[in-house]
Amino acid sequence: MLNYLLRRFVLIIAMAFIISFASFTLLYSAPGGPLEQLASLQSTTRRPDPDEIERIMKRYDLDLDIGIRFLRWLIGHPRGAITINGQDIAPTFQIGCLKPGKAQLVYPDGRIEEINCAKPVYLRDLNGRPVSNGVVALDFGRSQQLAREQPVSNLINTRLGHTLLLMGVSTFLAIAIAIPIGVYSAVKQYSRFDYFFTTIAFFGSGMPTLFTGVMGILLFALIFKGLGLPYLPAGLAESNRDVTIPIFGLIRAGSVADRIWHLILPVSVLTFFSLAGWTRFIRSSMLEVLRQDYVRTARAKGLIERVVIMKHALRNALIPFVTLLAGVLPTLFGGAIITESVFSWPGIGKLFINSLTASDYPVAIAYLLISTFLTLVGFLLSDVLYTIVDPRIRMT
Amino acid sequence: MTSTTANLPATGAGLALRKSEGQWAIVLRRFRRHRLAMISLFVLLVIFIASLLAPVLAPFARDATGLAPRFSPPLTTNPQTGTLHFLGTDHVGRDFFTRLLYAARITLSVAFAVATASTLLGMTLGALAGYFRGIVDSIVMRVLEFMASIPDFPILLIIASILITDPKLLPYPPVLLQLVGGLMLLNPVGIEREQVLTMIVVLTLFGWTGSARLMRGMVLSVRERDFIESARSLGASNTRIILRHVVPNAFPPLVVAYTLSLAGALTAETALSFLGVGITDPTPTWGNMLQFATNFMLTNPWVPLIPGIPVVLCSLGFNFIGDGLRDALDPRLKM
Repeated sequence: MLNYLLRRFVLIIAMAFIISFASFTLLYSAPGGPLEQLASLQSTTRRPDPDEIERIMKRYDLDLDIGIRFLRWLIGHPRGAITINGQDIAPTFQIGCLKPGKAQLVYPDGRIEEINCAKPVYLRDLNGRPVSNGVVALDFGRSQQLAREQPVSNLINTRLGHTLLLMGVSTFLAIAIAIPIGVYSAVKQYSRFDYFFTTIAFFGSGMPTLFTGVMGILLFALIFKGLGLPYLPAGLAESNRDVTIPIFGLIRAGSVADRIWHLILPVSVLTFFSLAGWTRFIRSSMLEVLRQDYVRTARAKGLIERVVIMKHALRNALIPFVTLLAGVLPTLFGGAIITESVFSWPGIGKLFINSLTASDYPVAIAYLLISTFLTLVGFLLSDVLYTIVDPRIRMT
Repeated sequence: MTSTTANLPATGAGLALRKSEGQWAIVLRRFRRHRLAMISLFVLLVIFIASLLAPVLAPFARDATGLAPRFSPPLTTNPQTGTLHFLGTDHVGRDFFTRLLYAARITLSVAFAVATASTLLGMTLGALAGYFRGIVDSIVMRVLEFMASIPDFPILLIIASILITDPKLLPYPPVLLQLVGGLMLLNPVGIEREQVLTMIVVLTLFGWTGSARLMRGMVLSVRERDFIESARSLGASNTRIILRHVVPNAFPPLVVAYTLSLAGALTAETALSFLGVGITDPTPTWGNMLQFATNFMLTNPWVPLIPGIPVVLCSLGFNFIGDGLRDALDPRLKM
């Protein structure tokens, strides 16, 4: 068991490393970013200022080789010339290039070397250059575009609560509604109830949240408001100022009522969407269990139907349920990118899409890395939980 | 696999209760009983034909601006040409109906291209992995495991956002560009064709895993059967065995998976274009039309309905057809 866990954990670390390196390389070789923005800003008014370009390149480590840059991002090193006993080790070790072009290096002994860099960057040049503590110390660096110079972790922290609230409530609601519907549908298979809810669930999963979200805003925020009915807000997580809505009266900005009021529409959209999957899962799992011999045995020994269903069938039907929890963990953090965008919900998913459109790469990579890590941990967790709830399964 | 035996002619013995039907006749008969699937098929056919006839039906040029005041309500007459704006005009005065037709053509073509390419890719890789086992299988399985354990939507967004901002990054053969451009009536000047092609490539990269897994499982279950062995003993080549004996057996679940992946590709493209990392204006897609629509919905509430309704009709339609096909193709579900 311990052996297994250790092996899985090493695998997770390796996987996170691969993903982070791949995405780091990908994002930093992509167009956009601070340099391009500067160029487009300046090209309209004047020629790009070389000093300004160099300053920006130094600021964002754009002059360094990708490997060195990745190391500085990952562990916060190297930070300058490596000193042992007051002696610099390899101070002129070239780690990047500030300005491409041809140059000649003249050594004191008269040797001349041709290099493909007009302004090489050496290890010692890193002395005093600001650097993060590295991702391993949970320091994701600073935002480049969205909130200039703010630590990425600050950006994430301020939005995490909103996402956890939205995802937590909607996931809980979806499961809480899905279990009774799924169980009843399975017990009364092919009944009118079963058909009705299977069809409803099918509609829910077939309609993109994009559509249900926009239509929800249209109906409950715009049309209801126009008709003088108690309407719902079109977006955001809380009001800027006090609002009076028909029937319910005054809602103070920032109060609990205000937050709940803002939560209703996005939560409904997400719940409606994910309800289908959960219901279908519980229904099929329940149908499978109801066919088992031990359920027949339970009936045969004269147990009342309620006990058979709730104790003998449902408990066993919920065993595969824990595997689905693996998928829940990353979404709790990552949020629903589309729903958050539709409702301008100030959560992590919206932050991620904003960071992508603004080419704010440190934020995007932080999001990706945390999601990957949580996805992998979720898989591990569900495997472990599986052995706990189902003793027939053993880990090797 | 009772449905495959139905293919055989009913030889004597008086076993056939009715006139023997082919496998596809049975499937068709069963499919027709699925009412929602039939309605979906009809609706989708209408949308599909309308998109094929886009240049004929469209009353205006695709990107013609300034014809009428912006956000003219539906059924406004154009002050210059006297033509009717069936669905009104958008935020820069372009005809909504025209753009909707062209967008249907682009969105549906992308969905079909992605579903076809990813199913073919997945089928090939899955069949190779399942049939030859060994190193091919382990490579494909590692890749599948890797794809399953990464958060795919964020990565899809990242890759799309990088490639879409500069679609010329990928070297596309001119033939492919012309094919895509001609099919979707894209503007050959600028980056329209590259952008749409990039979208297809990116979505295909993330879409093949399902059919690969399905195909591999089917091949694994079929390859040890007696009829494969007899085919081999008769001297059939590997290619022939895979194409003539393995693939037809895996066909029913693949058809269902294909239909559902049409819905998946359609919603994915719509979502990416909506989020601004997909196909961008002026190339019309339902996704980017919806994005603009939501920006102006406070003052023009009817606007999001115009691209929204076709999106949901198609998404639901493909899902229902897939469901109907699943019922029709599954021999265990005797009706």
